[in-house]
Amino acid sequence: MKKVITGDHAVALGAKLCRADVVPAYPITPQTLIIEHIADFVNDGEMDAKFLTMESEHSVMSAAAAASAAGARVFTATSSQGLAFMYEMLYATAPMRLPIVMANANRTLTAPPGIWCEYNDSMGVRDSGWLQVYVEDNQEALDMVIQSFRIAEDKRVLLPVMPCLDGFVLTHTVEPVDVPQQEDVDSFLPAFAPDIMLDPARPAMMGIFMPAEYIMELRRQTMGAVESAKKVIGEINDEFARVFGRNYGGLIDTYMMEDAEAALVTMGTVTSTSREVVDELRKAGKKVGLVKLRFFRPFPVDELRKALSGLSAVGVFDRSISYHGGGPAFNEICSALYGMTVPVVNHLAGIGGRDVTREQIIKMFEITIKAGKGEKVNTVNWHNTRGEMV
Amino acid sequence: MFEVRFHGRGGQGAVMAAEALAEAAVIEGNYAVAFPFFGAERRGAPVLAFTRIDSKKIYSKTQVYSPDCVVVLDDSLLDTIDVVAGLKPGGSVVINSRDKPEDIDLGISVKTAVVDATSVALEILKAPITNTAILGAFARATGVIKLESLEEAIKRRFGEKLGEKVAERNSLAARTAYGRTVIGTSKGIKKLESKKQWLPKYQELPAGGSLIEGKTEAGLIGPGSFIENKVSGWATFRPLRDREKCTMCLLCWFYCPEGTIVRISDRGDLMTNYDYCKGCGVCANECPVDAIKMVRARA
Repeated sequence: MKKVITGDHAVALGAKLCRADVVPAYPITPQTLIIEHIADFVNDGEMDAKFLTMESEHSVMSAAAAASAAGARVFTATSSQGLAFMYEMLYATAPMRLPIVMANANRTLTAPPGIWCEYNDSMGVRDSGWLQVYVEDNQEALDMVIQSFRIAEDKRVLLPVMPCLDGFVLTHTVEPVDVPQQEDVDSFLPAFAPDIMLDPARPAMMGIFMPAEYIMELRRQTMGAVESAKKVIGEINDEFARVFGRNYGGLIDTYMMEDAEAALVTMGTVTSTSREVVDELRKAGKKVGLVKLRFFRPFPVDELRKALSGLSAVGVFDRSISYHGGGPAFNEICSALYGMTVPVVNHLAGIGGRDVTREQIIKMFEITIKAGKGEKVNTVNWHNTRGEMV
Repeated sequence: MFEVRFHGRGGQGAVMAAEALAEAAVIEGNYAVAFPFFGAERRGAPVLAFTRIDSKKIYSKTQVYSPDCVVVLDDSLLDTIDVVAGLKPGGSVVINSRDKPEDIDLGISVKTAVVDATSVALEILKAPITNTAILGAFARATGVIKLESLEEAIKRRFGEKLGEKVAERNSLAARTAYGRTVIGTSKGIKKLESKKQWLPKYQELPAGGSLIEGKTEAGLIGPGSFIENKVSGWATFRPLRDREKCTMCLLCWFYCPEGTIVRISDRGDLMTNYDYCKGCGVCANECPVDAIKMVRARA
């Protein structure tokens, strides 16, 4: 069934279709509509979930952890300051191996205060152990809530997953979304059945104090779970494509890369606009392609090395700054491509919610192509930033 | 692809209008997206919303810079915003106004449709929410969507959120405005420019963006700069106080969220500064002796 809905509405429908048992929540722009829709579903009897209005995001994640440990399927959503306020509990939930799914509506983190899209909220928690996936449209937002629960609850993974959607650009944009049938989701996503949970009939200890004799091993184990998520994400992507007819490519997606000479790596909605730009540049005879970095954790090192091999240059789009130079995607891609000789340049744009226009994306390709020809370009390019030359 | 840009003020429903238009286009078998762009979320502040309609999937996730049609929900915006900026050649403008198209100066001579959507909304919805009425005018002026599709879209969107009765009334507002729309050509005489903005380079921006009182080419910045931002244009209504009835209890002065009611102590009187009154009506609502009436702000 096609519905014309916002990204937030799509995410809320995803949580409903996944039959989340517990939804602890605290509203924050631009995530608010997710929580409002879920509150409506629960109130109207369409969703059989415990909806908990908490006093802060820190409490939201504490409640989420407790409910998940007790064997409930837990969904919540946040954004920006809310995610920052959860920081402590994010680091608790992942190594405890609690498969919570939380949507993050990407929004700039203060200061200065703002409400529009930037990735500095979710990028700040990239080392918490949470898996992260960035989506480009409302359909993918809904579909990735469903896939996220499958990935999170897979016994080889057992990690929380954070589907990230661009604040306003998706959260408040309506477009047609194909809403899956409940029975199809039910057979794709079986009930959550953890091996160990807080159950008075079978006592267990979770989140216990550990001295140094154990912590190295626990960290190594968590790293192993993040690593094995790579395979699981691919399998679930393929199964989802078979059942629902939509294939997102798994860890990364590629567009017009078969014979590309220069490529841009993008995340989120800029990918969507870039598809049109690639079409336009191809018509003008430029051999360009697109790699969509979907999962930031686990980071698709092998997939990127394969997709970006044999190119003359790679441009990397970032929607946040890591204060040692370029953006986080740029720095991690440079690290992933270590040993390869392809020049990599960084394109910072859309920070604080500034519109990323087709003209800016064309400019990103032009600079990347120049770098491929050996011409001198800036390694880090601040697009459409007053006082900066690109 | 057909691109629409809506200019409205917070509370008039520009975002709902853009969404209902997208829904109508999808009902007709097209693909459509709609999205808002606003500053701080404030009732009365200028808001932009966009709709794109095409026969195939739309990938573009940018704002609309070259619209085929511009829809203006509040003609007071014409004084401060160059609404026709980027309008495609052969494009059109739909305006909520009591004026005739020939009397509206948009800086360019362009196909212009007008309807007094505020009166339609007040008659039918009993509130100055002009989004559904203006969509009726849009359908009439552009022919991009049929009135029946629009009414169906309004029923779906409003019905789901606000119930059948509200949906039916909004549908009637669209139909009524459709019938009352006048199509003509705007004047193209005065040079309209959007208000200048202060846009410093990063090197010029004070550390941390901390501002002291200052003056730039674009006007005042820092503490006190809001004095230049006269918001009277936002008001649909303004308060009129009956001195005879007023007991000087000062509840209006206390409750005014904008501090626009000023005490004149030597006369023991009150004065409303209409430059900054947004016409919210809180004073009239709070007055215990009904001494304050809200009247239409613009003739």
